[in-house]
Amino acid sequence: MKHLTCLFILLCLSACETVQPWERGTLARREMQWEPDRMEISLQAQINASKEASSGGQGAAGGGCGCN
Amino acid sequence: MEKNPALLALTSSALLLPAYQGVRADAPPEFVELGMRYSKYEEDDTKGSKTFGGNSQRFDIDAAQFHLLAPVADNWAVAVDVQWEDMSGASPWFVGQSIDGDPKVIMSGASIEDTRTEVSVTTRYYYDRGNAGLNYVHSDEDDYESNAIALDGSFNSADGMTTYSAAISTSRDDIDPTQGAVPTNTLHDNKDISSAWVGVSQIISKNAIVRFGLAYTYRDGFLTDPYKLRDRRPDERKEWAVSGGYRQYFMWPDGALHADYRYFDDDWGVASHTVNLAWHQNLGRSTQVIPFLRYYSQGEADFFANIADTEKRYYADDYRLSSFGAITAGLRVRYEIGNWAISAVGERYETDESWGVFSGDESPALLNYWRYSFGLDYVFR
Amino acid sequence: MSLSHSHYDHRFKAMGGPCRLRLDCADATIAKRAIAAAEAEVVRLERKYSRYLPDSLTSAINRAAGSAHAVPIDAETAGLLGFAQTLWEQSGGLFDLTAGILRRAWDFRSGKLPAQSTIDGLLPLIGWDRVQWDQNVILLPEPGMEIDFGGCVKEYASDSAAAVLASHGIERGLVDLAGDMAAVGVGCAAEPWSVGIRNPRDSATAIAQFGLAGGGLASSGDYERCMLVDGRRYGHILNSTTGWPVQGLAAVSISAPQCLVAGGSATIAMLKPEAEALTWLRELGLPWFAVDSAMGCHGELHSR
Repeated sequence: MKHLTCLFILLCLSACETVQPWERGTLARREMQWEPDRMEISLQAQINASKEASSGGQGAAGGGCGCN
Repeated sequence: MEKNPALLALTSSALLLPAYQGVRADAPPEFVELGMRYSKYEEDDTKGSKTFGGNSQRFDIDAAQFHLLAPVADNWAVAVDVQWEDMSGASPWFVGQSIDGDPKVIMSGASIEDTRTEVSVTTRYYYDRGNAGLNYVHSDEDDYESNAIALDGSFNSADGMTTYSAAISTSRDDIDPTQGAVPTNTLHDNKDISSAWVGVSQIISKNAIVRFGLAYTYRDGFLTDPYKLRDRRPDERKEWAVSGGYRQYFMWPDGALHADYRYFDDDWGVASHTVNLAWHQNLGRSTQVIPFLRYYSQGEADFFANIADTEKRYYADDYRLSSFGAITAGLRVRYEIGNWAISAVGERYETDESWGVFSGDESPALLNYWRYSFGLDYVFR
Repeated sequence: MSLSHSHYDHRFKAMGGPCRLRLDCADATIAKRAIAAAEAEVVRLERKYSRYLPDSLTSAINRAAGSAHAVPIDAETAGLLGFAQTLWEQSGGLFDLTAGILRRAWDFRSGKLPAQSTIDGLLPLIGWDRVQWDQNVILLPEPGMEIDFGGCVKEYASDSAAAVLASHGIERGLVDLAGDMAAVGVGCAAEPWSVGIRNPRDSATAIAQFGLAGGGLASSGDYERCMLVDGRRYGHILNSTTGWPVQGLAAVSISAPQCLVAGGSATIAMLKPEAEALTWLRELGLPWFAVDSAMGCHGELHSR
């Protein structure tokens, strides 16, 4: 499973025909951002981290909250 | 496809000019942005069948968020984020066994009232191939104080198709549990959290991007829940998280698909899968409707048991360390008019042990909630 | 999905010619602000680079020619000089930013050819490779030397004005500065703009139509400023090494993702002898269209 994942990652990274900077208009659209609404993501992440046992994933863990 | 050398030379020379820097992957925001959100979070009452003593009100949170992002000079940006939360309600104190042998939760009797304030400041520097940011967060509530700093950076490949990112952070949290509602496990203690993350994101086509990330977090110090009667956790916790994400725009319906997955694992025996799906549908130029779905499944910690065995070295009956599955369904709507954007979100979160892929004992304190948020954004164009 | 959009059409005069901004926008306030900002950007570039305005940067650079004082420049000017350098290299030295002084010899309204001695007097002042410049300063080594950005600033202004429209959230727009065009086209709802290539023999009609969805279109033609002397046509595009008009194509139109690149390519094609120019255009890899001196048409601009 681990090997398949690595292979998949490598395939994705290598098999891409270059998209020129002036062709990246669609990628710049709001709905194509990784996190279009930062406040919403931050609130959701905080609620989830305090009500579940997992946290993090994208970016380093930030400050703590009183959710021991 | 080989490009004509004359055309390559003319194009690469032209792209150095300022008018084309807008397509530069890394540039500070052009305009100052302001944002506000107001949210209401309401947990369902714990059902009478699951508690000793009938229905019990649980937690309610009113939260306000404020966000300011401003470009500074040519290559810098500053972001300030402030969050206020007003929390009130009861939370599980411990789980006991009823006469029928079913585990039932005893809630903390009196209502807890607390206010939390969090201030985060980030300065970010942009250069032609990437950016780097320094972030400081201070968080304060009656029984808890946290100070954290983080450093992050990202770097684009020469063709701009790949972005490599990394971040490290460290925080020191001070715990001073409020005395009164329930006896606490400590009067004063602290914990440290250190974390590192690396990620790579790749443009696949004009319409699609993919990313992968790996995170490691180390917690050290007082990790026990101070308000739970039967709770003693290790003073160290090592966590790993592997994540992947995908975004694709579809021309004909004029919408984008968001898919994210995270696998989490730690040395307490907890493992989890998280899947997030969202569809961003454009309606005309001003409106976006975004239905979203989240599936979460976690396995129980090694030392979790509904009826905690206080003879053991570590024990906890906290539902948050139990095995369960959770499903969130929600809808977000956004409307732009001039430089303003108005948004509203509603989501419903429900948990059930049978929805998870891991097996374990179902905690009687599993949680369901509603959350609503209203937002206003303004861009100073 | 553009039912709620209004069409805006704004004309103004700048860069020595008619300028036109067209865009689709749902909000009148945003449209007016975007138009004002785009026009202001064109005017800014005109004020900065026009050799006709005494307080422009170009005039300051030209006044300092032959002195010991190098003139400080910013990143934008350094970028344009860098582009001029590339044009000089790719044209084999035929494009020369310092060749503008030849206008003193050539008066196309007079119908008379200049004296060779006049041209010989100007040639020593032409020499891009002698200009001393870097990212921070420029110095023209001899008094009387001049640089003239006229060959590329209009195309750059089109791109820059289009970028300004895009930054205001405009998703469909067209900047047209006397024939040098740049389009803003984002997403599938942005229909291409139908633009015409002017007929060299009849400026009121189009010899070809082209759909421009994004990127730029630039044209270079010899027909607008030329004179007939003894049955021979002398155009205004001059060979910077001889000082005499080139015997090349009559008109070239090129489309490229940047109007500046389109314009630079068109200029290079116009400077080459006809047959060489047509070969160069065929190998360039951009949509192109050309009219030769016998009014024959070549190339085909395909809509992207």
